Amino acid sequence: MNAELTTRVVVAQNGDVAGPHTSQPVSIDIPVPKATSATFRIPAAIWCMLVAITSDMIGGYWDVAWHQSIGRDTFWTPAHLAIQLCGVLGGLTSGFLILSTTFGHSPAAYQRRSASVKIWGFRGPLGAFIAAWGGFAMITSAPFDNWWHSAYGLDVTILSPPHVLLMSGSIAIDIGTLILIGGAMNRSHGDLRAMFRRLFLYVGGIIVMHSCFLITEYTGSGALHSATAYLVVSMAVPLALVGVARASEHRWGNAIIVAVYTAAVLAQLWILPLFAAQPKLGPVYQNVTHFIPMAFPLLLIVPGLALDLLRRATKPWKPWLQAVSTGTVFLASFVSLQWPFANFLMSPLSRNRIFGTHYFSYDDTAGFMYDPYRFQASENTRSQFWMVMTVALVAAILTTRLGFVWANWIKRVQR
Amino acid sequence: MGDHRMRIPSFLVALSFVVCAPANAHVGSADVFYENDAGPYHVFVTVRMPKVIPGLAQVEIRSESNDVHEVRLNILRLSGFGYKLQAIPDLAQRSPEDPRFFVGSIWVMETYDLQVRIQLDGARGKAELGVPIPAFAQDTLRMQKSLGALLLGCMIFLSIGIVSVVGASVREAQLQPGEAPTVKGLRKARTAMFGASALLLIVICLGNAWWKADARNSQTQTWSSNSPNALATLRSDGRLLLRVQGQGELWATYIKPEKFIPDHGHLMHLFLIRLPYMDRMYHLHPERIEGGSFLENLPTVFAGKYQIFADIVDDSGVPWTAVGQIDLPNVAGMPLSGDDSQASEGPLTPTKDDSTLAQLPDGGRMIWERDSSPLRANVPMSFHFRVEDRNKRAVQDIEPYMGMAGHAAFVRSDCSVFAHVHPAGSVSMAALQLAQASLPPAPPRANEPQLVNQRDSHPAMQMTMNVSSPEVSFPYGFPKAGLYRIFVQIKRSGRVQTGVFDAHVE
Repeated sequence: MNAELTTRVVVAQNGDVAGPHTSQPVSIDIPVPKATSATFRIPAAIWCMLVAITSDMIGGYWDVAWHQSIGRDTFWTPAHLAIQLCGVLGGLTSGFLILSTTFGHSPAAYQRRSASVKIWGFRGPLGAFIAAWGGFAMITSAPFDNWWHSAYGLDVTILSPPHVLLMSGSIAIDIGTLILIGGAMNRSHGDLRAMFRRLFLYVGGIIVMHSCFLITEYTGSGALHSATAYLVVSMAVPLALVGVARASEHRWGNAIIVAVYTAAVLAQLWILPLFAAQPKLGPVYQNVTHFIPMAFPLLLIVPGLALDLLRRATKPWKPWLQAVSTGTVFLASFVSLQWPFANFLMSPLSRNRIFGTHYFSYDDTAGFMYDPYRFQASENTRSQFWMVMTVALVAAILTTRLGFVWANWIKRVQR
Repeated sequence: MGDHRMRIPSFLVALSFVVCAPANAHVGSADVFYENDAGPYHVFVTVRMPKVIPGLAQVEIRSESNDVHEVRLNILRLSGFGYKLQAIPDLAQRSPEDPRFFVGSIWVMETYDLQVRIQLDGARGKAELGVPIPAFAQDTLRMQKSLGALLLGCMIFLSIGIVSVVGASVREAQLQPGEAPTVKGLRKARTAMFGASALLLIVICLGNAWWKADARNSQTQTWSSNSPNALATLRSDGRLLLRVQGQGELWATYIKPEKFIPDHGHLMHLFLIRLPYMDRMYHLHPERIEGGSFLENLPTVFAGKYQIFADIVDDSGVPWTAVGQIDLPNVAGMPLSGDDSQASEGPLTPTKDDSTLAQLPDGGRMIWERDSSPLRANVPMSFHFRVEDRNKRAVQDIEPYMGMAGHAAFVRSDCSVFAHVHPAGSVSMAALQLAQASLPPAPPRANEPQLVNQRDSHPAMQMTMNVSSPEVSFPYGFPKAGLYRIFVQIKRSGRVQTGVFDAHVE
């Protein structure tokens, strides 16, 4: 598609878009493509960012499976390389976008500059700055994590300060990609917008997956009859789920996002055990002969569908009322399905390759120190349980409301 | 030997000794030394424990013969579950200079009762042995200033970066291409940046609290945070009452004095060493009484401040040394009986040269067979002692003392190091028995050394209790430089003889 239209942009002499903070503005005409045709291609930078976050997702699951089956790793394991590719590719792509937008002299650069934000004298899409921040956070986590190992031992938990910094970085790259696509989506129409929207929802699925990854230690099958598990899901999921779904304006936005998450987790559950692996660290408590994947996904697909249906019915309602209803339906539908499904996960019927409840990490003392097919209560009394469940409901409502705010902001992002 | 305490000029005391404060258990000697037969091979194993756990331990294996071709390493639990399955073993590298020496690294991933399983393959077939290692982090490390500065710089950069991103997202992100930010937009952006800064500050504070909590938690996993104290009181009937007071969650939850297991015949091996010159030493074996405390009929004891080292083994096979001090008056106690023993020697002073000859109470003597080269810290070595009778002839009648050819206690002048070592090394015999029990059964070997006393036999004594040997040896390595006193005990004609040696370690 050729650039048929032009738009007049007032720019300062240093190339900034004119505003109260610029002086001596001059006018130039820059070409603006009519961003409606399907023939208009998705920018290569967006594809690169998508490759980066997909690589991070694959690397994350692979790395966990590596730690659960082989144990010993190095900087250069394939799983680590996949995660590092996210930081490198995401960082380089963001850097290229920022530098080419800031210093480029081509018409395309002027066009990008007109749709950019300014930070520390640099110009670029907001998403590129967020992703660049994420790349730097990931790099910073490396020496921090290394020191953490030497000071306190090699941490074998998902949640440690350096790991959270690393995951904050990769989530920032996810969000940067989301905003990059969101801005392009909001500026486009027709088939192109539909295409951007599909990619937007895919990134939303990865963000939900990342959120669920972070809370894995609280959502194992043995914890699913505790209110704490539902509290952490209510804190971690609705913000990203509702925010991205609503911003996409897709009628099945929630369901698609959750489907992406579910498909990714099922894929690692079904594919990784096909590959042989043996522990290289001791003591070994379980006989491991292949990669041990992460557990069966949370049944968020039902809340996803329920929220999409609810959204249509509650569209005229006030935001807070919508948040209360959406948060309540999210938690109620999730509990009503996940709770009985947890019973199934404890039964012998689930100990197969489909549901994978017979997979145990080589260093898991299941069967020796604890019964893996028995629920572990986090709350000591019934009243404590209901108190935590009430907090979970409040959390679901609040994170849903925040999701609405975020969605409204994303919908207006242009740069 | 007399009481030498009053002969020492007081300035020497001040110059040479740190007052022995209650040190923490295993007492400064985390590395494990072990010497024994593994099938047809005789090996000396040193396990250099990591500072933090999980962490990397270095395992050194020296074979007596050069027909061992391959050494493989693994880590297993000492007992219970977790000792049946093995990971893919690590291969120890053979030294190019010395074909009998192998070095390998192995990850210690868990704390508490573990064993290093060593598989040997050589000209005389395969063999396997288990070396118990009590695994605890020794300490947590502080961050280097340079790295701290780097990470602080990164944190400031990231913080300013995220606040700037928030500002840009409010100021410009929602403007149409080409549209300039308004004054109102700029004001809103500033407000958002202020709010983001406040939020970030809260996040950093919470992160810092989390970091501190994790650091505190790591500290509670260290040996020093779990080692027990020995609380001793002298009762009016002249008996010493001793209570082992554990620290940390491990002791609060799992380890109970009622469940201690015997280590070479006794539930507790109590060493009382008079301070500050270590001129008297008592090796006693209190009995456990109701409630988990221990009671000992003291022998005749000379007044003074005594350092207490009480060796015990919990029911998982982990050895502990409870540490404490007690001021004792002159005690006119019972005559020594059973396996109890005592020793007297001149004061340990920094000005004294190393001693290699010790007179024994029965008129014989004990000779430390060492060359003239200086002793160095962190070098594993075999300490050989030869026993001669009053006619300077090598004795042929060493008897098992608590089932072994000898016992040695290595004590640093400031009491920061204490190691109770046997001919099999620094491992506890009780733990060693658990490790041996976890091994797959080995076929019986020909030419097994004849044991003096089968009742007293331990796996570890098999190589040392040859009836004709006048020598006893102990594998050990000083953990740090300083002045040490070594008490070496053997038994002849039903009496325990103690040789006392002093050593400067560089």
